[in-house]
Amino acid sequence: MTVRADPTDHRLFVRRMAVAAVVALVVWVLLRPALDGAVTSFAQLLIRAYEHPKVTRLVVVDHRAEVRRADLRSDSALPTVALTEIHFNTIVFLALCLALPRPWSRKQLERLVMGWSLLYLSQSLNLLFHVKFLYASAFGAWSLQHYSTVARNVFGFLQYATDLPGRFAFPFAIWIGFNWDQVMPIVGLSSGKKDADGRDKKPHRGRRR
Amino acid sequence: MTNLRSLWQRPDARFLVIFLAILGVAFTTIAFNKVNDAVVIPYTGFVARLSGAVLGLLGEDITVAGCDVSSPRFAVTIYNGCNGLITSLIFVSGVLAFPASWRAKAGGVVAGLLAIQAINLVRIVSLYYIGVFLPDYFDESHILIWQSLVILAGVGLWIVWARSAATAHRLAR
Repeated sequence: MTVRADPTDHRLFVRRMAVAAVVALVVWVLLRPALDGAVTSFAQLLIRAYEHPKVTRLVVVDHRAEVRRADLRSDSALPTVALTEIHFNTIVFLALCLALPRPWSRKQLERLVMGWSLLYLSQSLNLLFHVKFLYASAFGAWSLQHYSTVARNVFGFLQYATDLPGRFAFPFAIWIGFNWDQVMPIVGLSSGKKDADGRDKKPHRGRRR
Repeated sequence: MTNLRSLWQRPDARFLVIFLAILGVAFTTIAFNKVNDAVVIPYTGFVARLSGAVLGLLGEDITVAGCDVSSPRFAVTIYNGCNGLITSLIFVSGVLAFPASWRAKAGGVVAGLLAIQAINLVRIVSLYYIGVFLPDYFDESHILIWQSLVILAGVGLWIVWARSAATAHRLAR
């Protein structure tokens, strides 16, 4: 007799999350150079889209984004931003997605790709606001001349919001947003999504409210 | 308007809107200098003293000054982000946004905060020893391993709490 594990068992999910975290860490380590490049390239594209003249270049050096400006003196020290802290939350997002039932199904893989894209956007915005806040506040007289107090505060707030709060909260918010119908049965609620007959889409033993 | 109302009637959208709203208010509040000086820094100092006390019990010759925990062997400085506050706020936002009774929410907040702080304490103590014995691995362990683990632990705690809250809610109906 074969006993199939209940996919909505929350203890099973927590156990799977531990294994999934290891898998996610390995995937992230393998993809780390590509993620460094992808986040930096997109942030640079966004910065240069609103820059006249286009002088900013972000170069990856030892897992840090080096901020190079064509108008800086050649002997100027180059500010850098740590990239690991910006995209390590990929590990959390991957672990949460892989811990759900049937993570390799087409539907779950599509959700993984969509969610990862959103997370990637948030990581690129985080780097963008790091650089803009650097420009607005760390370059002494140049910053004061080119950025107003309002701009400094706006970039400071956006950098803060996408930094610690964003890095920690976005993986969870994106994961639950894309996987509500999977997560709610795990916590014991119906997903609230109905089929054509008005019944819960994924009913399971004794769980329907 | 109808679209907004139908969106609000979707439980996933409602949870996410409330979750992100509470999170936004909480993080904006702690971003103010006055709140930072009056709450976050003293709280981080408390976490440092607690970590120092645990390390002292483990036989370390620890000195705590503000948010610095140091010994002749190694020193760590606890910043916002390492004090468990961010994970705690995310957990609390998740609990408050979840459809459960206020009694269950109150219990979840108290138990969850204690559990997250306990996990964070283990994190700080383990990072101290990684700094002593494997200093080359300190940065990687600090960010990759422990930050990820603390967030995942917060999610795990939320899942376990939500399950028990949903069960209690169902039994009460």
